Amino acid sequence: MDLWLALAKGVFLRFVLAVTILGLLRHVALSLAALWVAIRRAPAQSLDLRQIFGETLAWLFPIRRLHRNRFGYSLASFLFHVGVLFTSLFLVNHIDILRDQFGIGWYAIPKGILDLLAVVTIIAGSSLLLFRIYASSSRQLSQLSDYGLLVLILGIFWSGFLAGRPGNPIPYAWLMLFHTLSGAALLLVIPYSKIAHCVLFPLIRLGSAVGWRLAPLAGGKVVQRLHGPEGRQI
Amino acid sequence: MILETGTHLQRQPNLAHLESKAFYHIDTYPGSDRLGGSRVERFLFAFAAILQQSNYGVLLDLYARSSARCGRCAVSCQVFQASQEARDVPCYRSNLLLDVYKRYFTMGGQLRGRLFGNGFLHEGGVDEMAELFYRCTACRRCHIECPLGIDHGLIAHLGRYILSEAGIAPKGLVVSVREQLEGKTGNTSAIPLPALLDNLEFLEEELVDSSGIQAKFPVDVQGAEYIFFPAVSDYLMEADTLMGIAAVCASAGVSWTIGSQYFDGINYGLFYNDWVLERIIQKLVGEAQRLQVQKILIGECGHAARSARQYVPTFAGDQQLPVVSVLELTEALVRQGKVKLDPNAISERVTYHDPCNIARSGWLLEPPRRLVRSIAPNFVEMRPFGKENYCCGGGGGLVSLDETHEFRMQVAGKLKAEQIQASEAEIVVTPCANCKKQLRELVSYYHLPVQVVGVHDLVLRALRL
Ligand code: HEM
Ligand code: HEM
Repeated sequence: MDLWLALAKGVFLRFVLAVTILGLLRHVALSLAALWVAIRRAPAQSLDLRQIFGETLAWLFPIRRLHRNRFGYSLASFLFHVGVLFTSLFLVNHIDILRDQFGIGWYAIPKGILDLLAVVTIIAGSSLLLFRIYASSSRQLSQLSDYGLLVLILGIFWSGFLAGRPGNPIPYAWLMLFHTLSGAALLLVIPYSKIAHCVLFPLIRLGSAVGWRLAPLAGGKVVQRLHGPEGRQI
Repeated sequence: MILETGTHLQRQPNLAHLESKAFYHIDTYPGSDRLGGSRVERFLFAFAAILQQSNYGVLLDLYARSSARCGRCAVSCQVFQASQEARDVPCYRSNLLLDVYKRYFTMGGQLRGRLFGNGFLHEGGVDEMAELFYRCTACRRCHIECPLGIDHGLIAHLGRYILSEAGIAPKGLVVSVREQLEGKTGNTSAIPLPALLDNLEFLEEELVDSSGIQAKFPVDVQGAEYIFFPAVSDYLMEADTLMGIAAVCASAGVSWTIGSQYFDGINYGLFYNDWVLERIIQKLVGEAQRLQVQKILIGECGHAARSARQYVPTFAGDQQLPVVSVLELTEALVRQGKVKLDPNAISERVTYHDPCNIARSGWLLEPPRRLVRSIAPNFVEMRPFGKENYCCGGGGGLVSLDETHEFRMQVAGKLKAEQIQASEAEIVVTPCANCKKQLRELVSYYHLPVQVVGVHDLVLRALRL
């Protein structure tokens, strides 16, 4: 068991993190390049960058927007995100592993606070899951992966949380093995699932604005490609 | 994004004969069957060609990778609020197209498709898109509420574009555009030039008779400052709006003209096809060039104003001209004191409906309001209003499709009718030909004691000479 754990935190973790980070960097690089090409294709139209990034920032810190629509859901989503980001990035045990493996580390938030945050995140994440199942519009919108990701994240939080509680009936090593493997699974799927939004978020609104910048002559070229040089009637 | 389609499409029998059962009457252009036997094939070929030539790929990549399907857009969509059908949730609709994109145009999707043999587009999928992209009024209200910034209106626009290249487009739009671009009269209402000239003469006389104002509708004035393009249907249906505009121009001495070779501001391309959109913009610009004018002036019409303002810069090449809405012009003339209005002219309770195409982006919120407020002391806002207004329910070209009437009344326009009723207004004013038509139908359907008019209809009543 110890060997498994050591492996999971060692070579395996390095591989997983490399996939996650390179995968996400690839998304950002490809998206930036594609945005650049698209902007160059339709140079005449203006882009209101201030407005676009202002809105993006406002949604990044949506405190004043939570009440606008589905308040309970929005609040749960907000707390869930705070929990996921802060516990994964600022937990002393995580930082210790990073230091051990890569020699890098940073400030850790006291574990007592993150314990509490983990509980909040579990409640918030479960609410998101229940809402998805309960609200019929959301249920019909959902794909298997939408449930799967929430369940996976909840599993990671439960196991991490319980591992820190000596009184619990499940052996520490089992919890940690589950935690590490499910944590790694999440890291692996981040670039290949909707969670890629964690890095694409700043570009999506820009992409929407760029999408309305139609390329000159593109319409005619589409018709020619489909029907040859003689084109088609309306 | 990878572009290689047609290689492993699902072969299906041709179900084209079922097309007539759709939500609207479908027009198929001659020769669309050359793209493939089934509509699935035509759809995918059209999709591939559009991706290759246009700017939509980057957008689909971003959306497909990150759409969280959180469902917040449901609450902001008036169609969903009225229908309570999950298929009307904007994100659901967008995901129909995103799923096709992922399956056929991304490496991961193609791989998964090959491994598991699923995710194929079926005829039923094309049917569903053909219906749902037109149950959306393209009002883009959901864009404000999407925390990720996904623009479902843009996806609906793209979905309609692909469908139309695949030979699936509403007859009501296509027939008008065919007349505008390939017909004898060159406009969507098929008004022959002599009839237009007669009509202008009639309007001039009517203006003298009803208001005592001597104003001209100048035609083909070389070198005028503005060339005027209203929604051409205004010449048939909105005499007061046009007379108000002519009266304002006359009283402020504006140099303007109507072009005899092309005089239609309507651009249904914005609703269903980018190729059409570009060709219509080129007609506007061509007529402006012919008459050597300095600016393009668009009448009271939401989509005409937006399409010209947004796409003249794109499609005019080196023949760039500023595009001005008549609302901006009149408001500026009033501000500069060149046009005088009676501040108490309209005593009725008045409310203002924002046309989505000019309001959602925040472009024309204040100018029309300032005009209306300055002559109607008893002005009230609907809630919500401005950027967050509700669509009239006839947006995205739906109002031109008579067969969607029940849907526009009972579903898409229901919230608007409730808003109007709650405002207790006697007059709803809105600067858009499409909104006016839809609102009048709503008012009569729900028996609301309200009159629907344009901004310049009221300006005409308030004009002091
Ligand atoms: C993949 C590698 C990961 C490893 C090796 C790892 C390791 C650990 C360790 C050693 C603990 C401490 C348990 C204890 O108290 O003794 C822990 C706790 C925790 N981890 Fe992870 N973790 C990983 C990934 C993640 C991820 C991706 C998340 C979040 C998305 C996460 C969330 C948590 C939480 C919420 C706790 C409990 C915090 C608390 O209650 O104070 N972990 N993890
Ligand atoms: C700074 C980075 C991030 C931003 C700005 C962000 C933003 C968002 C937004 C706007 C939504 C839409 C739902 C809503 O709030 O209404 C969302 C949903 C979601 N996000 Fe994030 N996110 C980020 C990082 C992450 C990370 C790191 C994870 C997981 C490891 C994550 C997991 C999720 C999940 C699972 C959902 C769907 C919730 C549901 O099922 O309803 N996000 N995110």
